[in-house]
Amino acid sequence: MASARNTAAVRTMGDHEVIVPENKLRKAVSKEPFDPKDDPVARAEKALAELSGEFGSWMDSECDRLDAARNTVKSEGFDERNMEALFHAAHDLKGQAATFGFPAVASAADSLCRLIELTPDAKRIPGVLVDQHVDAVRAIYREYERSDAKELAKLLTRRLREVTDEFLIAENRDRPEVLEQIKSPSIVPQ
Amino acid sequence: MVRIEFNRLRFLVIDDNAHMRRILRTLLHGFGAREVYEAEDGASGLEAFTHYVPDIMIVDWAMPIFDGLELTQMIRQPGANANPYVAIIMLTGHSEKRRVIAARDAGITEFLAKPISAKGLYERIVNVVANPRPFIKTATYFGPDRRRLSNPSYIGPERRKGGVKAETIRQAPLLDKVRTQG
Repeated sequence: MASARNTAAVRTMGDHEVIVPENKLRKAVSKEPFDPKDDPVARAEKALAELSGEFGSWMDSECDRLDAARNTVKSEGFDERNMEALFHAAHDLKGQAATFGFPAVASAADSLCRLIELTPDAKRIPGVLVDQHVDAVRAIYREYERSDAKELAKLLTRRLREVTDEFLIAENRDRPEVLEQIKSPSIVPQ
Repeated sequence: MVRIEFNRLRFLVIDDNAHMRRILRTLLHGFGAREVYEAEDGASGLEAFTHYVPDIMIVDWAMPIFDGLELTQMIRQPGANANPYVAIIMLTGHSEKRRVIAARDAGITEFLAKPISAKGLYERIVNVVANPRPFIKTATYFGPDRRRLSNPSYIGPERRKGGVKAETIRQAPLLDKVRTQG
């Protein structure tokens, strides 16, 4: 299946080379002008909308995965492997919740990611804080149909983040570069 | 605006999350792509890269065995594989500035933060196809030119040595080339 090795034009400068590789992607640039009536982005969005019937069950399984990872941490301890699984589950929810139609879940998942990632010694993370995050993620998702769900999610996430920041600032008091990161605002959509 | 014939591009999606792979496949097919291959971790992704020789890779950062950053560093080894210049789009939930810089310094071509959108993905693909950047090789870096903009009013220190020619080497937009040839 492999095609021929790529070739490149190389110009050697003082301490570096500037390389212009053979552009194999040129073949994909159409000679026809862009047709707004045949918009590929609109086609892709339509295809994604057709897939959206599955997003609820996908969120169910992602939330179950987060819950299972939390339970493993609680029963087996805050070791590296368990914390990585918990982080990964939260990280996937942070990245996917908005795509699945539940953007308000992403912020709570992001707060849990920060808690795990920015704590120098995972064993010092209070179990109750992990529980609060996981329960918040699940509750926000479960109650998403409520008319006030987004407002409640915002309040809940803000409080979680405040408590998390308080803990992280104390744990990182000797790490100024991390403190700066902790105090910078979240860029995850609220 | 450039029109891309997606059916002439071969994609490799590397993400350990099956839901995200399905979403990416759906979007790429929606754009018109036919050849979309998948791998679920860095190791099988490297194997698939060697086997399928994709035109464009869409790589997650956080993956088991080795992550997207390590995978990029393995691919960006001149002479070590069939195409160290392959376009790599890093798709990740990591969006902090330090992460973006680390990905750039590993040699990614484009960075796309989750949540993913059809428009965001499309724009990145158009960019790698229509506006390829030259590669720079130094003692510590091999990858696409990290200087995307030429700033004539820049007054800081010049870190590259060897004359200003390196700063002025530009690739003509592919669309212009195609029009000239056509």
